Amino acid sequence: MLRADVEVDRRDFTVRAAIEVAAGERLALFGPSGAGKTTLLEAIAGLVQPRAGLIELADRTLTRTTAPRVLVPAWQRRVGLLRQDPGLFPHLSVRDNLAYARSADPRGTELAEVARALEIGELLDAMPARLSGGQQHRTALARRLLARFDALLLDEPYSGLDAVLRRTLTALVVRLVTERAVPSVLVAHELADAQSFADRMAVLDQGEILQVGEPDQVVLRPCSARVAELVGYLGFAPVPGRPGVLAGVHPERIAAGAAPERGLVLTGRVAGSRPAGAAWEADLLLPDSGQDGALSQQAVRGRDGRPGLAATVTCRLADRPGADGDTMTVTVLDPPCFSQDGIAVDGHVREGSRP
Amino acid sequence: MSWAASPAAAAGGAVREPPGQPGRRGRASAGPRAVRSVSGILSVVGALVIWLILLGPVITLFTHLSGSSIASSLTAPGALQPLVTSLESGGVTLAVLFFFCTPLAWMLARGTLPFPRIWEAGVLCSLLLPPLVIGLLLVFMVGPYTAFGGLIAHLNLSATNTFLALVIAEVYESAPYYVLGAQAAFASVDPRLEQQAALLGDRPRRVFRRVTLPLASPGLAMALAVAWARAMGAFGAGIVIAYHPYGLPLQIWTTLQETGLASALPFALVLLVVALPLPLAAYVWSARAQSRRRG
Repeated sequence: MLRADVEVDRRDFTVRAAIEVAAGERLALFGPSGAGKTTLLEAIAGLVQPRAGLIELADRTLTRTTAPRVLVPAWQRRVGLLRQDPGLFPHLSVRDNLAYARSADPRGTELAEVARALEIGELLDAMPARLSGGQQHRTALARRLLARFDALLLDEPYSGLDAVLRRTLTALVVRLVTERAVPSVLVAHELADAQSFADRMAVLDQGEILQVGEPDQVVLRPCSARVAELVGYLGFAPVPGRPGVLAGVHPERIAAGAAPERGLVLTGRVAGSRPAGAAWEADLLLPDSGQDGALSQQAVRGRDGRPGLAATVTCRLADRPGADGDTMTVTVLDPPCFSQDGIAVDGHVREGSRP
Repeated sequence: MSWAASPAAAAGGAVREPPGQPGRRGRASAGPRAVRSVSGILSVVGALVIWLILLGPVITLFTHLSGSSIASSLTAPGALQPLVTSLESGGVTLAVLFFFCTPLAWMLARGTLPFPRIWEAGVLCSLLLPPLVIGLLLVFMVGPYTAFGGLIAHLNLSATNTFLALVIAEVYESAPYYVLGAQAAFASVDPRLEQQAALLGDRPRRVFRRVTLPLASPGLAMALAVAWARAMGAFGAGIVIAYHPYGLPLQIWTTLQETGLASALPFALVLLVVALPLPLAAYVWSARAQSRRRG
């Protein structure tokens, strides 16, 4: 069990966050760049000192700012931190990198086994500069495994790699932390990375945790308009019959045609379209809803941080939409609803399931 | 476009360009390439001239030396004593620099000191002071009638015209070169590697020994080598505070004063032979360390 409840001062704001990760559990910290995710990891690893707080790992107290004060130095924490830069020692061969920790035996069978399992068995005598990016990350992971750890922290380690490699390495880490039953925390600013790794996801913004939950719950039912914006909602549309209630529109949760039993039906004009991956992306220009007069062009956040009304809605469609100017009807599938203040409200926008 | 042309390529295995085009392209690029080659030759020639001018004194030394003059100069009684003095004082100077200035360089590189600019300015100050001025000021700082002089007098030591004085003069002349070089060497070590070493269970002193020092060592070796060359050639401060026991630079000076140019030249050669191997070795060694890292 890893428990951290800390306040860490940064130049621009203070990170105030509390997380709890059980042994063998995988938590993703998701948030935009500069949200304080890395700061939180570094506080757990002992690289930055929190102003206030408590960090416990298994039955050890790593940091406590109230009496009796505790600050276990980084080298005694047994916390692993993998970053985007694999951090291999350039003056040591792969074998010596793997055997860097005192607990690792350069000639032992464990080293050979781990190296073979991570497919770097052939590279033991190479220098790190000779390795590809993926091999370097495998070496960094193997070195960490051989050095023993009670918790594993991942600071977007694989975000610089191509998609296939990233998936392979993420799956490898998932298997290893499950096998060793240690708590692990991944920092990600790509939603897909967080989802493919984690059992639970925490959304962090401006140093504050806004929502914690299962990854799909956080995406499908964001607790606020800000979380909705962070997980990819590109606009809000008024819900007919429920004054003051706005439905979040996620471009990937839209189906062509009117299906009122599945969600909110929107009709408008095609304002533009382009191929997007194997699908099409279309901008749907909504007629002036007139709810509070002005439609904000920047869809998500209107004035004073409230959810703004979308003038256009971006949607992903399987089929090519009509030409610009054509009328188009789409259904926003079971959208989350928010009050004017951006707080999530209960209920579904579906025919027959209205509260 | 290329899709349309591909059947020909697939069938024949070679794409034939429309006639006329290659020639046009060749002519178009001949001009710039010729200009490029002329400017390339000019820049190489220019670099060579500057290099030869810089190397001029060394070349002159070898063209003006004769075997007999070397032999007669070096076999004179006591002729090699300054060489021994220089080597000994240079060695002590390097040891002093390594043990006392390396931590300072490390702290400067890591920014662990408050007001880093002021610390750096202090180091630069001794670099910018003319050596002769350093020598004059050292007399007032460590001479026999100063507090320091009185203190070491209790130990039967003196810091004027002694071996200690020579070491002090050499330390002052070479320290800033070493500190600045070592600072750059430490600054080139990625602090994230040191963090990673700590997270792998190494206490700070072990991190320094296993990661920081090996990674900085090529730069440290170069800094030591430069400091060695400065120490060997230290003259300005030495002539004021440590005229005796004199090292090689003062030997050259006195020989020049007493018997003239011709007999001073062989000692210049000795000074070069003594001062240069360490920098060269450091250069070769650091180049090899770099290439070993590249695998």
